[in-house]
Amino acid sequence: MNLASEIMDHPILWVIAFVVVLIVIFQAIVFIRISKKVAPEVGLTNKEVTSIIRTGAISSLGPSFAIIIVAISLITLIGEPTTMMRIGIVGSAPIETVGASLGAEAAGEQLSDKNFSAQAFTAAVWTMCLGGMGWLIVTTLFTKSLGRLQSKLTSGGGNRAKWLSVISTAAMIGAFGYFGGGQIAKGMNETIIFIVALLVMPVIMWAAQRFNQNWLREWSLGLVILIGMSVGYFLI
Amino acid sequence: MVVLERHTTDASPTKSEENFATFHSQAHFWGRLTIWSVIICTIALPLYLSFGLGYHPGWSVILTGFLSYGAVVSIIWFVEPISYYPILGVSGTYLAFLTGNIGNMCLPSASIAQSIVKAEPGTRKGEVTATLAISAASIVNTTMLIAVILGGSYLINALPESIRASFSFVLPAIFGGVLAQFALKKPVWGIGAIGLGIFAALGPVPPSFQTFICIAGTVLFAVILEKMKAGEQAS
Repeated sequence: MNLASEIMDHPILWVIAFVVVLIVIFQAIVFIRISKKVAPEVGLTNKEVTSIIRTGAISSLGPSFAIIIVAISLITLIGEPTTMMRIGIVGSAPIETVGASLGAEAAGEQLSDKNFSAQAFTAAVWTMCLGGMGWLIVTTLFTKSLGRLQSKLTSGGGNRAKWLSVISTAAMIGAFGYFGGGQIAKGMNETIIFIVALLVMPVIMWAAQRFNQNWLREWSLGLVILIGMSVGYFLI
Repeated sequence: MVVLERHTTDASPTKSEENFATFHSQAHFWGRLTIWSVIICTIALPLYLSFGLGYHPGWSVILTGFLSYGAVVSIIWFVEPISYYPILGVSGTYLAFLTGNIGNMCLPSASIAQSIVKAEPGTRKGEVTATLAISAASIVNTTMLIAVILGGSYLINALPESIRASFSFVLPAIFGGVLAQFALKKPVWGIGAIGLGIFAALGPVPPSFQTFICIAGTVLFAVILEKMKAGEQAS
């Protein structure tokens, strides 16, 4: 019987994992290019486009680091290439761990077991890959219909565009209410950090406005994360 | 190249509308192409393990694993893309669902960027802004991931435990910060959303419907408030 650890970093697995992450980067570059082209039409100056890209990059530093720290734990379970592939696309470390465990259990083994077999590893990979494919298939099949529905809704003119903006803004606030509520439910420390961030963000935004420092706005989320982590460091 | 699809009934769409339609059809084309390519890779990896290397665990095992996992996530496959669509728009949906980490990375980056250029979500300006911000975030995230996987993981393991532990506070900080930004503009909506969020997390709500209930609930709440405001102004 072959052990999973013998095939977890097989060269072909590395190749497929690299193709996946390169497609993700390629897609982002293509979308930046087509957005830049349409940017003047929607009222964005070149300067604003640069500022948006910089803000997106800065704001993702903290979350990316946090995502990767959690993802590292997956390496010991499923190896480097599969971890890279699964974390590089839709899904997160916790949900992938669930998928991998369920797959391994279906093969009658445990993920963290020393004698974890190649067959059980294959079952775990099947479960993660098929399970994660659901999001991709729904997105690729239905986004066009959703877009059609949206343009039908807005083509009526009048107040419809205004209502669509109300709905989208409320949806965004609702999503963050959901994320925030989940954190509050986690415990006291999370609640404290949540409230600290809630109070610090307006101060940063106010200071950026008052002293006319645009970089401060671009760094606002990064700073809030740093402050939240520092407060958290002293809480635990 | 890509066929232009126009669904507006207007006799003569303006130049900028036409350009935006081109943008959308390009987004559909590249979005679908890239996602289908990833789907093929996603299936190629286990196929290779099964039949290339010969470690096929048997279809019944695969089906058992998939069904027990599907029982947890299959509703979310549909609920998430539909719930997030109004925020992300066409291009943002393709990006965010390929790169993942929507709540903890894509949406916060997009929403901070929108506030900088004063673009509302759901408008064209908002969609282009979100697309640019999410693209940049996706590139940073993927590049960091590659770097860490290729050699940096021992560096992270070398970090003191207390610092690694404080990374668990990244999420509440992001969510608090982004909510505060909206609360400045729409305080009542923000309060309603947090209320719903806490209810969804602690109340008797099935996990797969929590996102949907919070988003749909806040939308309903906001629409009612706006209608009431419009009614007051009219009278």
